Amino acid sequence: MTDRSLIESLSVVTRRGADLLLAIGAAGLILMTAIVGWQVFGRYVLNSSPSWSEQAALTLMIWYVSFGAAAGVREGFHIRIVAFEAALGPVRARYMRIFSDTVVGVCGLCMLIGGSILVSKTWSHVIPSLGIPRGLAYLGLPIAGALIILFALERVLETLAKRHLEDEEDPRWS
Amino acid sequence: EARPTNILRSNDTHPYGYPTVEAVEELGRQLSRLTDGRLSVKVYAGGQLGSERDTLEITTFGGLDMNRVNLAPLNSIEKMTIVPSLPFLFRSQEHLRQAMDGAPGEVILNSLEPHGLIGLCFYDSGARSFYNTKQPINSPDDMKGMKIRVQNSDLYVSMIRALGADATPMSLGEVYQSLVQGVIDGAENNWPSYDSGRHYEAAPYYSLTGHVMAPEILVMSVARWEALKPSDREAVREAARLSVPYMRERWDKRVSASRVKLLAEGVQANEIPDLAPFVEAMRPVWNQFLTTEDQRQLVTQIEEMAP
Amino acid sequence: MELTLLVLSLLVLLAAGVPVAFSLLSAALLTFWALGIPMVAVFQRVAAGMSVFTLMAIPFFIFAGDLMYRSGIAGRLVQLAEATLGRPRGGLGLVNVGASTMFGAVSGSAIASASAMGSTLMPLMKEKGYDGDYAVNVTVTAAVVGLLIPPSHNMIIYAASTGTGVSIGSLFLAGIVPGLITALMLMVVAYLVAVKRGYPKGHFPGWRAFARATVYAVPGLLSAVIIMGGILSGIFTATESSAIAVIYTMLIAAFVYRSLGFKGIYQSALQSVKITAMVLLIIGAATAFGYALAILEGPQKLAALITSISNEPIIIFLIVNIILLVLGTFMDMSPLIVITTPILLPVVAEAGMDPVHFGIVMMLNLGIGLVTPPVGSVLFVGSAVGKIAVEQAVKSIWPFYLALICALIIITYFPAVSLSLPNAFAN
Ligand code: NA
Ligand code: NA
Repeated sequence: MTDRSLIESLSVVTRRGADLLLAIGAAGLILMTAIVGWQVFGRYVLNSSPSWSEQAALTLMIWYVSFGAAAGVREGFHIRIVAFEAALGPVRARYMRIFSDTVVGVCGLCMLIGGSILVSKTWSHVIPSLGIPRGLAYLGLPIAGALIILFALERVLETLAKRHLEDEEDPRWS
Repeated sequence: EARPTNILRSNDTHPYGYPTVEAVEELGRQLSRLTDGRLSVKVYAGGQLGSERDTLEITTFGGLDMNRVNLAPLNSIEKMTIVPSLPFLFRSQEHLRQAMDGAPGEVILNSLEPHGLIGLCFYDSGARSFYNTKQPINSPDDMKGMKIRVQNSDLYVSMIRALGADATPMSLGEVYQSLVQGVIDGAENNWPSYDSGRHYEAAPYYSLTGHVMAPEILVMSVARWEALKPSDREAVREAARLSVPYMRERWDKRVSASRVKLLAEGVQANEIPDLAPFVEAMRPVWNQFLTTEDQRQLVTQIEEMAP
Repeated sequence: MELTLLVLSLLVLLAAGVPVAFSLLSAALLTFWALGIPMVAVFQRVAAGMSVFTLMAIPFFIFAGDLMYRSGIAGRLVQLAEATLGRPRGGLGLVNVGASTMFGAVSGSAIASASAMGSTLMPLMKEKGYDGDYAVNVTVTAAVVGLLIPPSHNMIIYAASTGTGVSIGSLFLAGIVPGLITALMLMVVAYLVAVKRGYPKGHFPGWRAFARATVYAVPGLLSAVIIMGGILSGIFTATESSAIAVIYTMLIAAFVYRSLGFKGIYQSALQSVKITAMVLLIIGAATAFGYALAILEGPQKLAALITSISNEPIIIFLIVNIILLVLGTFMDMSPLIVITTPILLPVVAEAGMDPVHFGIVMMLNLGIGLVTPPVGSVLFVGSAVGKIAVEQAVKSIWPFYLALICALIIITYFPAVSLSLPNAFAN
């Protein structure tokens, strides 16, 4: 297997992965809407506030943000300051891009490790009104961390395979 | 070693000047004295580092050295901490102080070690009573259908439901606004918190049910504790012990100052003519949350104490 | 030492083009490591920082706004707005400031206001020929006004942080006139910039067309009535209103206009996830960064400088303003209020400033921090929704900053602007 085809097959996997993450995120957001809507309905119409709704929505929030943020590394939609990169020209910008993606990958690694410890240390704590382990709420973080490593690695390999950096269009709006 | 080894970082969600904050600052002074200045305490007050639950987690990881928290966030970590939070368990403030200074308090403090925490001491939190925007409460019937804010705690949700009211879990920061708008009708707390959160501006009826007297607790992270040499650990224990009467003196002053101030501001406080219906309505909550033999023994031990 | 590491590493990583969220995260990780605090604590702060109930208003309002735009509800609203207020140049810019002021007034959250106004108005402004940077500039700076006009949960935090003696009711009253002054300043700038750039001038379409526009806009107008009425009457909180806005918009789009199917809703959710996950990760990482800053007593160290410089009230107020602006640039609003109030209030009180007055000064100061780089959550939301780079938005924002600073100077040096209303009510 050549370098090129390795990157390409990795890219197929990661694109599917990122799409899946965003789809799960969208489902999570719609579910959050329903839960908070139900909270109002319960309190105002049924005269009985659901005690679980706030914690359930917050738990979903950690998951959806983690997943969406991980997909953002693959798609490159995280806000960053490109002024210096643009000023340096395509050759040196390439090194900067490699540096930046490496930093993101290291953050992903820390998120995987730190997140895993967080999950294991809080697994015995119970989320009041939900009755599930607190660690479950945090589980999205290490999963996202692992995916961020993968996505960042792919970007670094991709940049390495190129001679210089061409402008990429912002994929948030495609 | 980059870390300054001589400063213990302590968290508190109450603002500077609150009796718990001043007590931990006093603890720091005593600790400095006992260790010839080798150890001191820095209190980060006002919730600047995060909520009680969040900072408690960080304390268990060893990220913060000390933390002063309410018992509620510990309820979902260690069942023994539920006991002093049970409604109408203590007959008086004297009873509470005696129990927490004695063997029952010791049992609870020690129960935290498996969770990464060393229990140091208890501080008073007075008696929690209901306040609302509508009318004085004299019996549980007056609370039927009222939307009462509670902490995010199963125990508090069950207590409010047992009285026939609608328990609405909500973070403290949203309470004032929600009272003004009418999203909720009331909440429950002690005099000083009713005062410092300025909730009385929106909810002027304060009905003295005194349903819960759960104390506050000061904990230390096991990681930090184990890094101390034995003589310093003893110094920390001693300083904590000395901070308790200091705190109580300030607490009592604070309670009466808040009461005098709020009554002057037009708060309508009422004594409850007959507490029995409240006690009776909330009794089933005990059975629901007393699930282990250790808890029941502790309850018996507390109930059998003198005053 | 660690403080230098924290701030310097952030600036270097930002300059190197590392995404803002990961720059904040790396700076926090480095500093926690230097302080000997376990790494796991960083991620506790990140998770806690991005899962705050009031922050849920961000995804919900962005989602609702996107649905309104896709379904055509927003377009009909803007047609009405144009028919009524669109005659001067840059009419939509003025509409934006006015709507943000009203919305921010009710929601009490600058970021919720930027989310809601940005996702409904910005796409339409662009369609009408306004530049993206202008739309972002107007939206984010107008969102700050909502912090001054009651209700505002940050004022409640301030009142609690003063210890005792400041009534929330007085603070709320004190914010009204300064809020209106700030809104007026922004409107003037929005108009001047629009004239300079030659933005379209609307014309009154006649009463018949006006009536038609009004009828078409009824469902959209109703959403504003439901949100604001629901909050004011206590049916739901501001955060809950954002979820209700989503549900209401879905129902109207699906059953009244029939302009949005399941697929459209899914696409809209997907788009909202992309924007909000990115913004909320920044907020989570900023929470970890702010924790490190608080542990290192950054705000206290900066504030300690004041007393050493001068005891002239005018100078002290100036320095306090500068300190709050600088801190607001790096840290989020509510922890800053908690930390700086006990330090700064005695200093300004000594110089003769009323605590209520100082509260208003602080709100505007820290509010400006929300729209300035390097860390400004409202600016980030606005840029993300407006689909333009932060640098691009910031390049042309200075007239709007100028308006905010002018308002700040007026509010700081003329106490009556804040205090006459609460004083009138006290008598
Ligand atoms: Na407001
Ligand atoms: Na800023």
